[in-house]
Amino acid sequence: MTATQGLLWLMALIALGFCLKRSASTAIRAGRDGAHSLMRVLPLFTVALPMAAFLAELVPADIAEGWLGPESGLQGILIASVAGGFIPGGPFVSFPLVLTFTKAGAGVPQMAALVTGWAIYGVHRVIAWEVPVLGWRFVAIRMLAGLVLPVLTGLGVAWVLPWFPGALVRP
Amino acid sequence: MLARAAQLGRVPALIRQNLAFVLLLAIGIAAAIATYELRGAAAFRHAMESAGETFVFILPSLVGGLLLAGALKQLVPAGALAKWMGAEAGLRGLVIATLAGMATPGGPMAAFPLVLVLAQAGADRGALVAFIFAWSLNGFQRLLIYEVPLLGTEFAMMRVLLTLPMPILAGWLSRLIPIRWQPPK
Repeated sequence: MTATQGLLWLMALIALGFCLKRSASTAIRAGRDGAHSLMRVLPLFTVALPMAAFLAELVPADIAEGWLGPESGLQGILIASVAGGFIPGGPFVSFPLVLTFTKAGAGVPQMAALVTGWAIYGVHRVIAWEVPVLGWRFVAIRMLAGLVLPVLTGLGVAWVLPWFPGALVRP
Repeated sequence: MLARAAQLGRVPALIRQNLAFVLLLAIGIAAAIATYELRGAAAFRHAMESAGETFVFILPSLVGGLLLAGALKQLVPAGALAKWMGAEAGLRGLVIATLAGMATPGGPMAAFPLVLVLAQAGADRGALVAFIFAWSLNGFQRLLIYEVPLLGTEFAMMRVLLTLPMPILAGWLSRLIPIRWQPPK
């Protein structure tokens, strides 16, 4: 168990403690609610994780230089933003991918756009979580509100990069 | 049971949930076949192993996060957060939602149940959008555990500084978008 997981469990136990202080039945309801959610999401995880792992095997590393290199400019930022949205899985997939792309020659603004695209569009997260929990209409509102943010991040990074010379220096 | 669910008007929700499952399964099977054909049996085995490892790795977070969300649902009374994150809270509601989003640890399994709690307790769409963006863009936990170690402090700092005001901006924008939406029951 990692430190973060420990922190999460600590918070969960504190919250459960507060439930128990209120009444035993409140704590039982909380536990039952958690178990109910778990039963709902476990099937999704058993199909989502192998999907993410297979897609990671398929992404070719050598497309980075040409499509996402420092010379690719605004076009590279656009490609990276959209590609970021289709990276399946959590940070354990996206950040190692950024590292792989960087080693293969991708530019810093393009990689910042990729991370932002992953965080904002995150198609797999929309399908697995946001639509079931909040509905298509909410997703449409959120997507419209955040549509330009990945591209804006890429352009912003290109602008401030001279002040951060050590960012993503190739090993 | 299905008839009862239909009576409650929950069949669309059931279809949507199963749609996600079917979609993920279909993409997964296609990707598995492509991996086997294009990258060979070793890559196929490697992918299965890494999926298994990831599952074991996130399982404690998953259970802890869902337990936390379950407990919070009991503790946060409906409407308590409305005065903090409702539409009438204006810019302050967006700032609070942004800070709360950055402070929320864990993956979507922890964050989205929380979003549901906030929505049911009266947070408006702007606050929900700001919360989700702040969590997904700059969640402190992901930052410390993944981004800083893998990509370096300087890249992480530059990216965070640039994207810090974005959840507030997007939350404000979402209030202007003319799409009708009701928080789920």
